[in-house]
Amino acid sequence: MGCEMTANLRVRIGVDVGGTFTDLVLVDDRRGVIYTGKQLTTHQDPSQAICEGIARIVRESGLTIDQVDGIVHGTTLVTNTLIERNGSRVGLVTTKGFRDVLEVGHEMRYDLYDLFMEKPEPLVPRPLRLTVTERMSAKGEVLEPLDEEEVLAAARQLVEAGVDAIAVSFLNAFANPSHETRAAELIAGAYPDIPVTTSVGVAPEIREYERTCTAAANAYVLPQMRRYIKVLRQKLQDLGFRGTLSVMLSNGGTAALGVAEDAPIQMIESGPAAGAISGAHYAGLSDTDHAVAFDMGGTTAKMCLIEKGQPEHSQTFEAGRVRRFRQGSGIPLKVPVIDLIEIGAGGGSIARLDRMGLLKVGPDSASSEPGPVCYRKGGENPTVTDADLMLGYLSPEYFLGGELELDTGAVEAALKRKLADDAGLETIESAAGIHAVVNNNMAAATRRYIAEKGRDPRKYTLIATGGAGPVHAYGLAKELKISRLIIPFGAGVSSALGFLLAAPAVNDVRSQIVLLDQATPEVAAGLYGQMRENAVAQLTAAGANRHEVTMKSSVDIRYRGQGFDIEVELPGDFLEADFRAGLKARFEEKYELLFGRHITDVPIEIVSWRLTASCPRPEIKLQFEGRQIDRREARKGTRRVHFGQSGFVEAQVYNRYGLTAGTTFKGPAVIEERESTAVVGPDATVSVDQHLNLIVDIQDTRGDLV
Amino acid sequence: MSDVFDPISLEIYWSRLISIADESAAALLRTAFSTVVRESNDFTTVLMDADCNCLSENTAGIPSFVGMLPSAVRSFLQHIPREEWRPGDCIITNDPEIGSGHLPDITMAAPIFYKDRLVGFSGSIAHLPDIGGAGWAGDCRELVEEGLRLMPVKFISEGRENTYVTQLLRHNVRAPDQVIGDIYAQVSAQRVCAAGVRQFLEDTGMDDLVLLSAELRARAEAAMRKAIVALPDGSWTSSVRADGFDADETFINCRLTIRGSDLEIDFEGTSPQINRGINSVLKYTTAYATYPIKCALDPESPRNEGSFQPVSVKAPVGSILNPIFPAPVAARQLTGHLLTGAIYGCLAQVVPELVVAESGSAPTLRTVFGGRTRDGQAFNQVLFASGGLGASSRMDGYGCTAFPSNTGAGSIEVLESVSPLLVRHKELAQDSGGAGRFRGGLGQDVVLDIQSDSPVNISLLSDRHKYPPQGLLGGRPGSKSIVALSDGTRLHPKSRSVLQPGETLHIHFPGGGGFGPPADRDPAAIKRDIEFGYVSQDAAEKLYGVRNDR
Repeated sequence: MGCEMTANLRVRIGVDVGGTFTDLVLVDDRRGVIYTGKQLTTHQDPSQAICEGIARIVRESGLTIDQVDGIVHGTTLVTNTLIERNGSRVGLVTTKGFRDVLEVGHEMRYDLYDLFMEKPEPLVPRPLRLTVTERMSAKGEVLEPLDEEEVLAAARQLVEAGVDAIAVSFLNAFANPSHETRAAELIAGAYPDIPVTTSVGVAPEIREYERTCTAAANAYVLPQMRRYIKVLRQKLQDLGFRGTLSVMLSNGGTAALGVAEDAPIQMIESGPAAGAISGAHYAGLSDTDHAVAFDMGGTTAKMCLIEKGQPEHSQTFEAGRVRRFRQGSGIPLKVPVIDLIEIGAGGGSIARLDRMGLLKVGPDSASSEPGPVCYRKGGENPTVTDADLMLGYLSPEYFLGGELELDTGAVEAALKRKLADDAGLETIESAAGIHAVVNNNMAAATRRYIAEKGRDPRKYTLIATGGAGPVHAYGLAKELKISRLIIPFGAGVSSALGFLLAAPAVNDVRSQIVLLDQATPEVAAGLYGQMRENAVAQLTAAGANRHEVTMKSSVDIRYRGQGFDIEVELPGDFLEADFRAGLKARFEEKYELLFGRHITDVPIEIVSWRLTASCPRPEIKLQFEGRQIDRREARKGTRRVHFGQSGFVEAQVYNRYGLTAGTTFKGPAVIEERESTAVVGPDATVSVDQHLNLIVDIQDTRGDLV
Repeated sequence: MSDVFDPISLEIYWSRLISIADESAAALLRTAFSTVVRESNDFTTVLMDADCNCLSENTAGIPSFVGMLPSAVRSFLQHIPREEWRPGDCIITNDPEIGSGHLPDITMAAPIFYKDRLVGFSGSIAHLPDIGGAGWAGDCRELVEEGLRLMPVKFISEGRENTYVTQLLRHNVRAPDQVIGDIYAQVSAQRVCAAGVRQFLEDTGMDDLVLLSAELRARAEAAMRKAIVALPDGSWTSSVRADGFDADETFINCRLTIRGSDLEIDFEGTSPQINRGINSVLKYTTAYATYPIKCALDPESPRNEGSFQPVSVKAPVGSILNPIFPAPVAARQLTGHLLTGAIYGCLAQVVPELVVAESGSAPTLRTVFGGRTRDGQAFNQVLFASGGLGASSRMDGYGCTAFPSNTGAGSIEVLESVSPLLVRHKELAQDSGGAGRFRGGLGQDVVLDIQSDSPVNISLLSDRHKYPPQGLLGGRPGSKSIVALSDGTRLHPKSRSVLQPGETLHIHFPGGGGFGPPADRDPAAIKRDIEFGYVSQDAAEKLYGVRNDR
């Protein structure tokens, strides 16, 4: 799918293969309609659910498969493979003397007090890590030439040991990749069936541990991804699909299928990235400059800052944490990702009292099996969803549109037995406590995330999606002193929708330290020439038209000797005009914003040079009228809902499908739709905008806690 | 416990306070200049109430720093009376007795005012890249040789820099830009912490932290007492031998006594202080004596001042664990890190399942390099790397993992980019882990070339050259430290030396001790050790009686 083609595309399908469900969204631009679908994920062969889902959604939309122009696809396969450790047998070829980079890691303990903490196993076990003679200096000079015989011997030994993929990672290769490239050529020449990943090919940046991890992780997931894509491509062809199949990347862009075949590690966060893109879309619809996209599901909550309609990017991601959500317990990767945080707070998060008698919620989750107590599927531990039911946030009769009846009595008994009695609380207090603690966990994480960027949460708008997002958004907003909340229509499918809102994009980077004084347009041209050519080639290969590609260049820049660099954008004409003074001013401005001061007598240096090349985002007019809108009376009666500051109050219950644009009403109110329920307190005013999104204004932004 | 806070509000408040300490640490890390802080994590941030009780600490700090900040701030108040603390002040010291036990660490505290009242203190400690004098060296005979000493003084007074202090530092240290930059990183951390606390008080409607602090300390104390009372009453002793300095070998005698919910650690009989920099001031001794107790008995509860109410630590005046001022102390970690082994030696006799054998990373083995790069730039770099973790009753020790300290290893690529050091080799060291039912974690070998045009100064801060990390319950010891030139010449383990251009240095970081008799080791684990090269065929035969059937 290319840029110029985008405008002409009429029918596109987004497919998000998740752990439980495969979500689908079909957008038909010509008729201005959207269809959504859900299919249970088929873990043995995910393409089965995809194809069934596609066939069904095409049928429901009254189209035929040959009318579908494009399919954008994302999957949790990559991230799950790293969590479950069921990837390929990988061999690593590395510099002599550095066999154990993957195993030694940072040499730190991520838990200061746990003597028995679990550390992640290296992705490549020691017998499959072989070394060869070669050496680059930190400046990229060849200190010892590559011993090609040793490369071939190592490859032979690895192939005989049964590896499915090989990673090559040499010390200082970021400064000069020629040895890695040559080694990869040699191995590919001798063993054409074994895919080879070079460290610079996936992460051309300084720091051997992170770069080697990224290469190893890519090799680890690559054979499965290739097999999977091959099957998918064939099945879609058999189905009669003649359009373009592309993939969603972690950087929030889409790419041709080839990227997934060579660098599948770039897909590791495709689902969350799509969610962020869709958050950016809603921020744009409502002209919101500063937004927090908040997505809360069954197990996790994700928060992503959206500034002027754009999510921010980060270059690091920790995969496969052995202790869920614990920083440092996973494998650090250098990959371009949308900058977001994910914490263990969801509807299924379990509440308990800890050793000190304090109420803890999550990160353990009852997930879908056995699920919360109220599902009556064997769950015994009270969860967030159970608390939400007790507090009147959820309806016992209208959960998932009435498909699942919830058992309030069982919840009351479980709360009493597991929490309230031991804590000396009333049952309802313990339920309110669970709701408050999970909101606080999310607020603390969000506050920290925003504070690390030197910003103030109060000026943000919260955009809530996911099944549990609209239930908790009001409380979370109050904790963060956020006064406006947007709850999009059809919040449950927002991630799959993001696939269709994303545009093709390529990120590239060169690590080369240059003093700012010496950073002339000529120096920059030397670094960017190749990157720009590659980017355009990749995007045109994906069908883009050259002149539609926009290039954004930025540098990681710091005071010489300082560990932390700041990403600052380069001016548009940096290849022609002297940009040093302007860049210095922008760096100092950003530095002050972050740290309250800047330094005058230390030289400034550029560490990395980054490029983002992208196509314009496709414009989609979301007209949910295409869905079945229920035109019955919007008011469904009232029910008692508990709020921290006021206790139980009588709240008006609305049917979301009956709310038309322009409607306004005051809280306390509950707005029910099939996949989620929005709850707002007495100090809230709700208005329905032209896109049928709920705009909630909160008067009293004092924390709701306790 | 009070009726003021229920389990819900307390959880919310406490996690918020921890979050504030973490935000403060993030600010410090991001603005720090030196590799010591930025690559190896050698710093800590703590939030305290108005009585200097620790309320929260950053999540991955340095155990000793966490333990020492509160009493440091109490000492600050003796030097600068409470009434003289103003909003916007930042007070610093590097005095070993007041601060963290040696000169290279700057201890900083700032008052937190809310509604015109002093409600708490933010504190931080960070290891500076240099503090003048001999640099970071263990061989000085006097404290004054070890560097510049600042008694508590306002570095920032009501928001304005005390330029006299800045100039004093700038003209007495080797890397002034880095040093001042790192101190300012601490200033940033204090501001972030104070802002967080004020917001917290505003949100919760509290006027101060007094009641909350009392409740949190009571809870932490109760959790620790509950853990101690679960152990039988009794008294156990152990002893750890160390290299000391030249002929002055040192040893630590430890008696651990449990009575009800109280635990006492007494180092009576420990070596007298010596006139070289391996003396550990009592504060540092206490921090590293209490930390392993928390790990073994109550690892889950968030830590605060209350956690250590039930634990008392004694050390004889004039011993290496409680020296008389002004003893040299620069390498006090070489003694302090050994306390874990002494304490676990006692606990292993009663609750072996809760402890680990001695680690090769205790004490840390540090090499400090200084000189000029080929293009004439001054450089000063510490090679951060660790030996292996001791084995336990449930698992082998991890290779190359810091304990009891928690300093990380930097990137070799980064080290090479800022120094004339070329690292030839950095790999796990075969046969370095002590044999046992569970094997000690492997240490590592590092080989590096000096590629400068001029000589490079090196300061070694190491131990375990004579006495390796011991195993527990029949587990064998790990390997010993080695630091040698290519011709086999050993460098002095605790002194400064000069390396000529082109010389090659070999450093062996010891493996950890084993746990349980080697004869009890699972044959499958031995087979895997051989296959992975952790244990050689020869050693497997010798230590485990495995026949060579290859």
